[in-house]
Amino acid sequence: MRKEIPMILTVLAGLFVIVAKYLFAVDQLGWFTTANRMYQVMYAMFFLLGVVSLTIVHGKNIQRRRSKWIYSLILLICMYGYGILTIQQTVEGPQANWIYNNILNPTDATIFALLAFFITSAAYRAFRVRTREATVLMITAVIVMLGVAPIGDTLIHGWNNVARWFMDVPNSSAMRGIALGAYLGSFAVALRILLGLERAHLGGAGQ
Amino acid sequence: MGFLSLLAAEAKSPVWGIFVPGQAGAFIAVLIFAILVYVMINRARAGQAVREIHKIAGLEALEEAVGRATEMGRPVHYTMGLPGITDPQTIASFPVLGHVAKTCARYDTRLINTVPDVVVYAINEEIIRQAYLEAGRPDAFNPDDVRFITDWQFAYVAGVLEILAAEKPAAQILFGGPFFAEAMIFIEAGALAGAIQVGGTASTSQLPFFVAGCDYALIGEEIYAASAYISKEPILTGTVVGEDFYKFLLFAVIILGTLVATFSSNNFLATFLKS
Repeated sequence: MRKEIPMILTVLAGLFVIVAKYLFAVDQLGWFTTANRMYQVMYAMFFLLGVVSLTIVHGKNIQRRRSKWIYSLILLICMYGYGILTIQQTVEGPQANWIYNNILNPTDATIFALLAFFITSAAYRAFRVRTREATVLMITAVIVMLGVAPIGDTLIHGWNNVARWFMDVPNSSAMRGIALGAYLGSFAVALRILLGLERAHLGGAGQ
Repeated sequence: MGFLSLLAAEAKSPVWGIFVPGQAGAFIAVLIFAILVYVMINRARAGQAVREIHKIAGLEALEEAVGRATEMGRPVHYTMGLPGITDPQTIASFPVLGHVAKTCARYDTRLINTVPDVVVYAINEEIIRQAYLEAGRPDAFNPDDVRFITDWQFAYVAGVLEILAAEKPAAQILFGGPFFAEAMIFIEAGALAGAIQVGGTASTSQLPFFVAGCDYALIGEEIYAASAYISKEPILTGTVVGEDFYKFLLFAVIILGTLVATFSSNNFLATFLKS
């Protein structure tokens, strides 16, 4: 029964969404919007779980004085401090807003900027000509990079058109083919859950 | 004028019908697909032959990845990117997580799962706990190794980078999605940690990075076939075969549509599909 009841609930919820989304009479009742709101409320409740998990993991780090425990302490102070501050003055409050704009945003941008270095090192690893596929990848990448950069069109007039052709024709068609297969795959997964064949989300290895 | 406009408004005919306007075509498409899959499931249930799924190297490599981590005495790191419970890629990742957790439990290897979504975090914890139980090693399950970090994208990235640097996993599995800019950072940080990497996603914008950076990559729909592939259940395989038949049907419609659009001035097929 531990798995059967959640499975029945999943199937009923799935059928409800199909009926509420496609059938006109049910759509008029606005149940789909209500269900979406219920989901949002439940999602907000789940946040408490996240806070509890972080508190337990980092609380243990502090309690047992594990290495780098000081960062756990900073994390807990920031999490609860910012939480209390925003409850007191909302996220639009002067201090909360200042912290968001001057600490959170620049830190976020800094981590994002790391991507440039990681992409460079990944490109170096990927473009080492070892296999036939890597050679094709490298040649195409050089053509497209030269086409996108101003130097390509300066060296050979019309080069950016070649690069655009690569992006618009072989690249787009391959991407759309993959996307089509992926959509059908997601369809199949949804159907398997509706029929109660897929049970991994209820725990264990799924069988 | 006000009264006249009120009359005109009332004269509007009421909108009604069986389907929500614009959704009839989608419903029929879903219905055809469901029928095809249902037929294939029934064939499998009746013991009739169902085609096998071709070998997927990325899924075969999962065991190798865990085995390597066991030999090196280092953990396995599993991430789903930025999952959401409403995303099919996330749901497709659950059976793989269960399989990896069970393999880790069998080999007595530590599995670290980092999650940036609270709902998925709760589900993942349950999946891993159950997998350890099924493997007969409930005592080996450590709830602290299933970690909710934050739902803030780059803060999550920072958290994972710290874990990769500190724990030095011997294997990293990036499976499901959706993945965004964090994918490349994880892959490179995993490579720096010396981890064997198995990746799989249907996020087309990130696929080139997976192919370029991971040792094994699953592309697009392969991730949705994972549960059928791992379980080797004929009924589950039937759903994948049904999906393939539907794909042939769609290809036929695409080719027909291309021919009609090229050679006919009246694209009746497009008009019909849009209606």
